[in-house]
Amino acid sequence: MNTIEGVAASPGAGVAPAVVLANDQLDLPSEPVAQRDTEIKALSDALEAVAQQLEQRAAESSGELAEVLEAQAMMARDPELAETAGKAIEDDGTPAATAVVGAAETFAEALAASDSEYMAARAADVRDVSMRVARRLLGAPEVDLAELRQPSIVVARDVSPADVAGLDFEVVKGLATEEGSRTSHTAIVARSFGVPAVVAAAGLVAAVDDGVAVGIDGDAGLVHVDPDESLTEELNLRGARRAQAQQELASADVAHTVTSDGHEVELAVNVGSLKELETARTMGANAVGLLRTELVFLDRREAPTEEEHAEMLRAMASLLDGGRLVVRTFDFGADKPMPFIEVDGSSDSALGVRGIRLARAQPELLEAQLRAIATVAESGANIAVMAPMVATLEEVEWFVDRARDCGVVDAGVELGVMVEVPSAVFLAAEFAARLDFLSLGTNDLVQYLHAADRREGSLASLQDPFAPALLRAVSAVCDAVEERAWVGVCGEAAADPAWALAALGLGVTELSMGAGSLADVYAAVQAATIDDCRAVGQRVLRAEDASQARSIAQELLQ
Amino acid sequence: MPERDVTLDNEVGLHARPAAVFSKAAARFESAVTVVKSDEEANAKSVLSVLKLDIRKGDSVTIRAEGSDEQEALSELVKLVEDL
Repeated sequence: MNTIEGVAASPGAGVAPAVVLANDQLDLPSEPVAQRDTEIKALSDALEAVAQQLEQRAAESSGELAEVLEAQAMMARDPELAETAGKAIEDDGTPAATAVVGAAETFAEALAASDSEYMAARAADVRDVSMRVARRLLGAPEVDLAELRQPSIVVARDVSPADVAGLDFEVVKGLATEEGSRTSHTAIVARSFGVPAVVAAAGLVAAVDDGVAVGIDGDAGLVHVDPDESLTEELNLRGARRAQAQQELASADVAHTVTSDGHEVELAVNVGSLKELETARTMGANAVGLLRTELVFLDRREAPTEEEHAEMLRAMASLLDGGRLVVRTFDFGADKPMPFIEVDGSSDSALGVRGIRLARAQPELLEAQLRAIATVAESGANIAVMAPMVATLEEVEWFVDRARDCGVVDAGVELGVMVEVPSAVFLAAEFAARLDFLSLGTNDLVQYLHAADRREGSLASLQDPFAPALLRAVSAVCDAVEERAWVGVCGEAAADPAWALAALGLGVTELSMGAGSLADVYAAVQAATIDDCRAVGQRVLRAEDASQARSIAQELLQ
Repeated sequence: MPERDVTLDNEVGLHARPAAVFSKAAARFESAVTVVKSDEEANAKSVLSVLKLDIRKGDSVTIRAEGSDEQEALSELVKLVEDL
């Protein structure tokens, strides 16, 4: 037995035979070809076939993954890529597979030379496209993950977006990669499907042979090659418990989860597309605590119309079947530039013209959303609406007035705002007097409390949700609103069972998270008592640093 | 052969979605379209070539078109870049 340490990227555990993916390795032929015209035709057919395959996977995916796949399809149809490769065939008789990989490499090298992370990622994308084309041309055996039928753990240097999109999570029991990070596609997709994943496991591929039993521990970030009997049993037991929890969840009413002593808590999910909600539904979600409307319309050149908003909301509401849908109005900022936004923001995306500030500069964008919400709510859908980035009472009043003018209040829609700017923590009592609910956006709130940009990797320790300042802010908001409004959390913090329980103890009544975390939080809430949560809540408030607060809160899980 | 200079004013320049939108738009014209950034030329219909130029906010580029619909191509693509 051999254990390789990596980074825990998606929770869960299990043991299954390894499927080693080596699609990035290929012996390319060097012998010149005789029929150069035929070879050029074969190249262009293979490029088109790969473009179509990528487009199809893009259509079956959503969000950022779909965007990457569409960009890759464009690369497969790129006229310069075809011409550079075609020229090598025509001039030197280079075999098509070798020519296309070589042509892609010249582009990839130029892109990788840039100092931007974005460009480096595109270099990997174009290399992946050319390898797909080359495999097709050579008829090389390709491990197509979409064809897996037996329970397996996928082991690879990295899993490309196109391969991730084809995964069938009925049979893929875990993902382990040598490269990648918690934010790579592999990790995001694994979490959203509730499959364990370990990334950045150095030396992994060399240590694992195809078909060998592999134990994956997505909680500890470990990959065990050929685990012994007792470890196999332990990992399988943990996996089975998780699967059972998932199954219970599918038939449970998680929007009305009850602690062991009868305190009701609403558990909901964060989504950014209809497809994401469909997946979340299969994982037990029956309420949405955060619909990121800006993500639904990311590929638009023109502002969505009222009717388009209404159509999207109707589709989501009908999927939820009576469960509450909390809609967050557009939260575009300088980091999500859109052709239909005319406002020139500040260069600093986190502190610029975004959220409700943008809505005030271009009120027609907000009004179309509000009118659509009113229409859909009138036909019986259970909808609430909240505005992002609210900093002052005057902004709250402006939002409430717009909502009233657009018929949202008359339609019985609950009104709220996000609490993510520190000023909102201090004004929570006044906000609550004018609203039905407040939703804590912990990712932004902690970055603003610490004045630490969350995109800055070296400042990651300042994003810790157990930071005493954040926990005290949550408590201050709950205390200030008293019974006037309900308080929810829709940041990443809600996905951590220990944090979630401490927040319940502080007075939060709704927790919204990525669907992959529902099972863990659901199990933790059911096992806890609200009295224990409250006692721990008082103790975490006295913690002087994040690690102290974390260990206090984790007592609740024992 | 008509050409025009245009300065990139949007946050991400001609990367990501804007690069894809630009190349797709260029591909709709019969004319050959070229983007030039500090003497480096790229085929506007090739998203890889456009990305290679690494055009960022504040960069000035020249767009050239040559062919039967060169005037329309130029005015539409310049407008597209200005509207980004």
